[in-house]
Amino acid sequence: MRAGLRLIPFAFGLSAAAFAVEPEAPQSAPNAGIAIGLADSAGLRATVFGTPPQDMASLPAKVPLSEINAELPWRLPVPRILWFDSKLRVWFSAQAKPAPLAIVISGTGGDGNTKTISVLRAALYGAGYHVLTMPSPTSPEFIVSASSTGVAGDLMRDGKDLYAAMQEIIAHLPRKIRITDIDLVGYSLGGANAAIVKSIDAAEHKLKIHRVVMINPPVSLFSSVGRLDRLFAATIGAGDQGVELLYRRLYAQIANLYRASDRLELDENFLLSAGAASLRTDADFSAAIALTFRLQLVDMFFIGDLYAKTGLFTDPKHPPKVSDSLENIQRELRAKPFADYFTQVFAPYYLKRRPDATSASLIASNRLDIITDALRDDGDYYAQATDNDVIINKRELTWLQDTLGARIIVYDHGGHLGEVGDRQQVADMLDMLSGSWPRSAP
Amino acid sequence: MKAALLAGLLAGLLAGALEGCASQVLSIRTVPDQTPAADNAAAAANAAAFAEAVAAESAAVSAPEPQEAPPLVTPADAPPMYTYDPWERLNRFTYRFNARFDEAIFLPVADTYRRAPRPIRAGIHNFFDNLAEIDSVINYTLQWRLKFGWRSLTRLAINSTIGIGGLFDVATKLKLPGTPTGFATTLAKWGMHPGPYLVIPLLGPSTLRDGVGFLADYGAEYGINVAGMYRGSVSWGLGTANAIDQRANINFRYYAGGSPFEYETIRFLYVRRRLIEDEGLHSKEPVKKAPVDIPAGK
Repeated sequence: MRAGLRLIPFAFGLSAAAFAVEPEAPQSAPNAGIAIGLADSAGLRATVFGTPPQDMASLPAKVPLSEINAELPWRLPVPRILWFDSKLRVWFSAQAKPAPLAIVISGTGGDGNTKTISVLRAALYGAGYHVLTMPSPTSPEFIVSASSTGVAGDLMRDGKDLYAAMQEIIAHLPRKIRITDIDLVGYSLGGANAAIVKSIDAAEHKLKIHRVVMINPPVSLFSSVGRLDRLFAATIGAGDQGVELLYRRLYAQIANLYRASDRLELDENFLLSAGAASLRTDADFSAAIALTFRLQLVDMFFIGDLYAKTGLFTDPKHPPKVSDSLENIQRELRAKPFADYFTQVFAPYYLKRRPDATSASLIASNRLDIITDALRDDGDYYAQATDNDVIINKRELTWLQDTLGARIIVYDHGGHLGEVGDRQQVADMLDMLSGSWPRSAP
Repeated sequence: MKAALLAGLLAGLLAGALEGCASQVLSIRTVPDQTPAADNAAAAANAAAFAEAVAAESAAVSAPEPQEAPPLVTPADAPPMYTYDPWERLNRFTYRFNARFDEAIFLPVADTYRRAPRPIRAGIHNFFDNLAEIDSVINYTLQWRLKFGWRSLTRLAINSTIGIGGLFDVATKLKLPGTPTGFATTLAKWGMHPGPYLVIPLLGPSTLRDGVGFLADYGAEYGINVAGMYRGSVSWGLGTANAIDQRANINFRYYAGGSPFEYETIRFLYVRRRLIEDEGLHSKEPVKKAPVDIPAGK
């Protein structure tokens, strides 16, 4: 066990690097010119390393935590190889007295307890909220346990599933937890999810969601993912060979650092610091960002194929068994951009079920501007963005600013989520949630 | 009598099943408190220490002295991404068993244990670490790394006496940090490859070599039987406490991210880590050329 399980957190340290974005544009022609210059150097670095510990807001010493596993009645039949995803796992931190509830939604592929979530949870709990943290509708566990389709990435459909899951969970919480108000916080894709959920609730009034704060949200899901796909192509290369080259380089660098270190054991801390030391250039940061996102996409793509019975990687008549190796499928999937998910799984699935839809309309319906009116006119939508975010371009940022007006703040640092947890971000988020934003308002 | 027993059993099962249904939608389990402030302070301290250490290590790598420089590993020397796993079918079943066992029994028990006051848990942890020191002394000797063997022996002596039977890790405070080793590392030092990937029931990821190493360590400790840990009236209790203590100190959750490819990911990382550790054991020797197209570990 010592030898075995000990190293394992490393696996998740990497995959939980907490990225979050979402599906993207198949037809947006790759533009090699902008591919590398998607964000400035500081933005890329902040995206990879996050907020430096010394810049963190002051966080409470202790945050109580409960794990909640929910069995949702509308769950589709669970494929045998995904037995471990049959329940939706969310996390709850309860205040001892009546308090408002903040629901935090994870970014693309993220579960309900990522590093980013932990920081937001601590900040919100410290400010007196009950905190419920939920996985992204694009995470494997959500797709299996809570999705009504199994094919993730449709903003409105995912939003409805998420909204239903929230209701189910809140309705069954222990009675002693007294909730006075409900607010949403979402980061990255979760930000877009949160806004959509509020807009659904505005029509259905089942939860009476009050305010929403979106942190680094995408504007067009598909164009954000397209940027990440281009980043992958530009820094890692097409196909799986690029991943193999990257792996070989990292392996050699870490092995050399280790050989020179006189250490007797390769522990998690060493691995992470050696890995970090091996990432030096913008190209390295970009590769790390692109690969992290790609690995999330691999899971979503595989599960989508399994549920939609597309037959790309698995034979619908003979679904894979627990004992079957998935390594070759994983390798094959690593080489595939989001555009392939869109054209081969997502679009066929939704076009079949929505007779009026076209590929173009599917892309258009996955933009935040489907709720433009609400975002513009309802004063309870807020956003925190950065001007060097990898996943959105200037035009999209301008659209957010034009639409939200004074209810958005744009930081000059942080890249994608690299500002989460810093003093300014936390203070602003809490002001937005409590309705005292903007502070300088007359 | 038998019928009554059977009826009781059935009633119990039925109640359990009904409770399962009625347990409605949610099952709620309290887990240990999070400690964000302390975590962040630790992260800040680590970041500073890492920056220094890594800078020094990078300097050592990038500016090697011509005479004593260890030979460098090049990307071409890295083992392939495929991992040697001829027993994959069995391994996958074992992995699932381990995940279920962990979820149902091991982890809840460890979480409960984590609520015990920290000093008590630290004492228990130190106690078992101290016993494991005996195995480290033996193996450092077998590896002919006598400096470390001596350190382990000194630690054992100090902690068993001043540390009151190992409950306090006094040696670490005296700048003698613990560096446990085992027979798996001895085999590696002797030049054995990791061999096929192996998932051991209850213990988790391993390789054939590491599995043999584990058995040998167990055998040695069983033979010596310090503190009656392996044989005798208290062995079951001590063994269980040891297992719980170890689990409680491992920050891992099976399928935390829910990925369909977790088995592949863990296998990949486990074997790569062991191979890099092997490189460290043989750092004074020329880098072995990894044969192309042979899966890692073979």
